[in-house]
Amino acid sequence: MKQEPQKVITKKGERFIIPIGPQHPALKEPGHFEFAVDGETVTDATVRLGYVHRGIEKGVESRNWVQNLYMLERICGICSHTHAMTYCLGVEKLAAVEVPERAQVIRLIMAELERIHSHMLWLGVAAHEAGFDTLFMYTWRDRETVMDLLELLSGNRVNYSANLLGGVKFDISPEQADKIRQGLAFLAERNTHYLDVVMNDMLLLGRIRGVGVMTREQAEKLGAIGPTARASGVARDVRLDAPYGAYRTFKPKLILETAGDLEARFIVRLREIADSCRLINEALDNLPSGDLTVRMPRRIKEGETISRVEAPRGEAFYFIKSNGSDIPERIKVRTPTICNMGSVLALAKGHQLADMPMILVGIDPCFSCNDRMITLRRSDGEAETWSWGQLREYGIKAYQR
Amino acid sequence: MELGPVARVWHQGVPEMNPIVALLIFPGGLFVLTLGLAYEWVDRKLLARAQNRVGPRWFQPLADVFKLLAKEEVIPNDVNPLLFVGLPIAALAGALTAALYVPIFGLAPAYSFEGDLIVTVYLLSLLTLCMGLAGANTLNRFALVGATRTLTQLFSYEAPFMLALLAPAFVAQTWQISAINSYASTHWLIVTQPIGFLVALIGLMGKLELPPFDAPEAETEIVAGAMTEYSGRGLALFRLGKGVEMVVGLTLVAAFYLGGIGGPLDFLLKTGALLIAIVIIQALMTRLRIEQTVGLWWRWGALLVLVQLLLYILWEVVTA
Repeated sequence: MKQEPQKVITKKGERFIIPIGPQHPALKEPGHFEFAVDGETVTDATVRLGYVHRGIEKGVESRNWVQNLYMLERICGICSHTHAMTYCLGVEKLAAVEVPERAQVIRLIMAELERIHSHMLWLGVAAHEAGFDTLFMYTWRDRETVMDLLELLSGNRVNYSANLLGGVKFDISPEQADKIRQGLAFLAERNTHYLDVVMNDMLLLGRIRGVGVMTREQAEKLGAIGPTARASGVARDVRLDAPYGAYRTFKPKLILETAGDLEARFIVRLREIADSCRLINEALDNLPSGDLTVRMPRRIKEGETISRVEAPRGEAFYFIKSNGSDIPERIKVRTPTICNMGSVLALAKGHQLADMPMILVGIDPCFSCNDRMITLRRSDGEAETWSWGQLREYGIKAYQR
Repeated sequence: MELGPVARVWHQGVPEMNPIVALLIFPGGLFVLTLGLAYEWVDRKLLARAQNRVGPRWFQPLADVFKLLAKEEVIPNDVNPLLFVGLPIAALAGALTAALYVPIFGLAPAYSFEGDLIVTVYLLSLLTLCMGLAGANTLNRFALVGATRTLTQLFSYEAPFMLALLAPAFVAQTWQISAINSYASTHWLIVTQPIGFLVALIGLMGKLELPPFDAPEAETEIVAGAMTEYSGRGLALFRLGKGVEMVVGLTLVAAFYLGGIGGPLDFLLKTGALLIAIVIIQALMTRLRIEQTVGLWWRWGALLVLVQLLLYILWEVVTA
């Protein structure tokens, strides 16, 4: 079939649109952004998500509580521990089970190690988007240290599988603790260096200082969360606002910047790495003794609950509903990226095209985590739901075109 | 056009070889292409080592070219096919022709005449111009933005770069590359004209679209810029052209500012040193936005070179 001629040369009044995605070198996961540009200046931005919807929320409704732990851990490759922990906290609350203190502290240590690795990954990606590949390569080399620590503890680099319903799977021996301390000392030292680079490298500052400024009012209005919000001066951290697990004992520092630009987001994340190092060291020094697990019932009592955890990107939110069987009735997951996505679109306007990848990456997006299926209801109340057969037919037709 | 000494030597020494050989095999043609690939490898390898990577093996640039040549060249719909195919050829031809006027490998230029400096500088710009046109010829949005950026960048670095190459010409009182080269062999102009040297070197990086001046092909924004629609042969030719341009540009800067190029060893040492300097700059810097590039060149590059030129004129007046 002959292809329609591509229409790019725009008529007067028509907009010239630069598509970023679904497949684009700037994106490590599929998402689709359309930036209307006037020369190099972006005048409008739209986003379309949903390319990596995996139906996990539906999937968990046909698996039992234990199986779901593994399912939900795989929502995100970066913050896998966060998801498993949020789920465990919720289910344990429903079952009214108190997790041993040692297990709680080990969960905290894993969560903070994960935060370090996520932030270092982000630093590299952000440097790459800015065209500073040397910083990218160096941060990812140093990130291997924390990856090795995670592997040392759990045997895995990505899905650590540290959590069990009612505790954790593995203990931290004194030797392992020493190795973690050594690794963290190295990371803290490197982190100081990177902070120096970010705050003093003139060319990098030219790309990040004053770019993508989100004021405090905007951040509150757009509902930004996590480091993105904290860089705009919004004091929002679940670990402090609604402490869970071992965070009741070990308090993280609230790291705030007021500038709200990309530089502030760099600084907030880098200083969070330093604080995570401190927190882990504190937790290792005060590791309580005791069991790692308690016995969990196979069927969870009827009821519903929410659980919130501060993921590296912001608040992860779970709604869990049980009908008293060994299979959950409903689990609703809301990951941080979806809350911050609005800020990208709001900030894009008026900036240069060259800033777009940086502004997008500034929120540390994670597309597959936030992709959702939505059901549209018309005003007459008719829900447009397609059956499997209809979907298949649609797919065949789409490929015949 | 008179034959240069090298071509003459070839012509006399090996009777059955004619100037065509000098053009196609040595010192022009194949030899420059090989040199271009070799310099590309050194650039890539050193940059990789500076960035804590392993880097490519020595034959990787050549392997890339072979791979590209073996691939299908996709000509997109709605482009002018003649331009699409012709522009890479014109670009490579321009770079190769420029190589004939500079002391490649420390040998005297194959051709030489009064004013060949201007011709060479314009031949060097041909590659950039062809890339810009190639991008504008396709309807790809990334290529269009890339082409705009390529040409914008051309207009920003071209004048300072040209001025930086003309400054030694003023001092040497000639616009002939070989004559400036022999003048420079007794005068290290980097000492008297440090600004000109810096502008010439950094201008060369802008010409080659190396970081931090890689906004025209910034992959995180516009994929491959003007080259987005090119695959196979066209891309291979553009890449070869860039390699040749790198050799020619480095030779020019070394000949003018680093005490001239007297022989093969001299050539390798001086261009090698410049290449290392370029690699270090690449490794240390963040990509500039296109408007930052323009600002840098017009606010700093052009002004500083002009100031240096004024100082030189004043000096001439005072000493006279």
